Amino acid sequence: MSHTDHILVVDDDRDIRQMVGDYLRKNGLRVSLAADGREMKAALDTSDVDLVVLDVMMPGEDGLSLCRNLRAGKHRAVPVVLLTARDDETDRIIGLEMGADDYVTKPFSSRELLARINAVIRRTRMLPPNLQVSEAARLIGFGQWRLDTSSRHLLDEQGTAYPLSGAEFRLLRVFVDHPQRVLSRDQLLNLTQGRDAELFDRSIDLLVSRLRQRLGDAAKEQAYIKTVRSEGYVFCQPVVLLGDPA
Amino acid sequence: MKVLARPRRWPGVPRTLGMRLLLILAAGLLLAHALSFALLFYERAMATRGMMLAGMAQDVPLSVALLERLSPSERAEWLPQLQRRTYRYLLRPAQPGTPLASERARQVTALVDRSLGHRYALRARAVSRLPERYEVELTLRDGRPLTIEVTPSLLPIARWLPWVLAVQVALLLACAWLAVRLATRPLVQLADAANRLDPAGGGVAMPQDGPLEVAQAARALNALQARVSAHVSERMQILAAISHDLQTPITRMRLRVEAMDDGEAQQRLLADVGQLSQLVREGIQYARSANVALGPTVRLDLPSFLASVVDDYQDMGKPVQLGELAAVALHTHPQVLRRVVQNLIDNALAYAGGAEAGVRIDAAGLVCIDVLDNGPGIPEASLEAVLQPFHRLESSRGRQTGGTGLGLAIAQQLTQALGGRLRLANRDTGGLRATVELGTAQPTRASAD
Repeated sequence: MSHTDHILVVDDDRDIRQMVGDYLRKNGLRVSLAADGREMKAALDTSDVDLVVLDVMMPGEDGLSLCRNLRAGKHRAVPVVLLTARDDETDRIIGLEMGADDYVTKPFSSRELLARINAVIRRTRMLPPNLQVSEAARLIGFGQWRLDTSSRHLLDEQGTAYPLSGAEFRLLRVFVDHPQRVLSRDQLLNLTQGRDAELFDRSIDLLVSRLRQRLGDAAKEQAYIKTVRSEGYVFCQPVVLLGDPA
Repeated sequence: MKVLARPRRWPGVPRTLGMRLLLILAAGLLLAHALSFALLFYERAMATRGMMLAGMAQDVPLSVALLERLSPSERAEWLPQLQRRTYRYLLRPAQPGTPLASERARQVTALVDRSLGHRYALRARAVSRLPERYEVELTLRDGRPLTIEVTPSLLPIARWLPWVLAVQVALLLACAWLAVRLATRPLVQLADAANRLDPAGGGVAMPQDGPLEVAQAARALNALQARVSAHVSERMQILAAISHDLQTPITRMRLRVEAMDDGEAQQRLLADVGQLSQLVREGIQYARSANVALGPTVRLDLPSFLASVVDDYQDMGKPVQLGELAAVALHTHPQVLRRVVQNLIDNALAYAGGAEAGVRIDAAGLVCIDVLDNGPGIPEASLEAVLQPFHRLESSRGRQTGGTGLGLAIAQQLTQALGGRLRLANRDTGGLRATVELGTAQPTRASAD
């Protein structure tokens, strides 16, 4: 491949910044380093950056507000992986609401970070930007269900929550991001690789049938997910963005 | 804590302060009441006797003179009209009896004698002692006997008097009971408040109104609660701050070790760093679990919830199974409940190598989430202690299994935050049963999966 992905690592801790940079370079990526928001903006303006690794806990302007500003500015298309200090649901939710594409919890391993970076880049490459619908909304409606993207559960018409497993959620998310579009098993596998990609060994077919069960979608009717013989699957319900849950 | 020796009990003395106060007050009031009534009766007896004597002094000479004038045949007709409440006249000699016994009787006889101007020879005889009755015999001028039968008695008591007495006593008892209640209820409230005292500061403050002493005690208790919760939250903040500040150096260590050449030393260091970071992570979780931000509740379908948790473990290749799944939904906080169940499953995985999670409704109608394992279980004596932070069983393979001693404490704290209760019990078949008792069940969607 002629193109080398360019990663911008923003962390106020010099050692972490450099060690992460060294590891990413060793693994064939081009790396720039920034110590704070100012340096980050300068780097984004002067060179093409494919992905930003952003520390949340920084003196001055913190990572969350940097991320939000990034999403509002001209570099809005650049994917962001957050380095969060706390393994906490609210941090994860806030981070993803601020527009981050993924996050890694400190203390992280460099291998884990690299895997996340690669997954996010692959995902953004696969998706034309106009199809990344669910990024914007916390609540997505389709059929008789609403999907709460921050709490990762389905809501029925009475408002009862039906939680999804991580893999089910990622698969459904890919489907509602690409409604009416045939997705191959390879595509689905790539897009749904989760945090524990190495250990994920269920076949996509099994996962689809599990998700159908969750949606109450009988295999015969296939009202939500249709099997397209020898091609893959298609999500056949229209998708509505509903904004924040009521 | 030093507990004062219980004072020796008197048999028969009631245990409660209220009962004792009531007993003392009631006894005192009844006694005082009885005394004043006795005095009243005595006074009344004296007065009636005085009246009787005065009446007799005028009445007896008149009656005797009248009877003297009447012919013997007419006398019997007049007797009823001469009769008084305490004495009457009889036209017969006195019954045989003993000489007068009481001073009073002799006084009466002397009075009769004086009022008759000592013109008659009187023979007084006591006929009966209880009720006292005596007869004074004299001989009329025509030689016929006349006997004055005296039956001294008090004026009869009015029919309504016992009722008034009963009402008075009842009134006194009611007042005593009210006073005792007023005095002891704040004590009960204080004890309740002390029981509810929540180290995390969530307890309910005592109302500081009411009588001065009660208000003072309430203020003192509220201040104590505030101090305890300030102390606890300060310690939690310190724990969180330390844990948090440790993460940057641990991250540096980890990255540095990973950059080293592969080898046994690197593996060992990585394991150490992993343990360190787990301890830090759970330390933060524990510090936060005391006052976790709950947010709004959601009606959660519990079978789907457990399936999603278990699926996540299975996707990571962990031996976690679904058990009994009752169709129930419950208003709760899914993220917090998820952490509770995950911690219980992690504990089962660490000590038993596998876990089974299920949901059922118990006999009391409570929704119970069970996490079962087939491990060695926990000695009965330690079932409570393992819920304490940093507690590990002596015999456990603690660090080798990766436990920090915080997982169950976090689960316990979070369960309490959810308004539930965490119970541990050894299963009959061996292994541990961790039960999260939540609220009462709500019917679930009829057309469940």
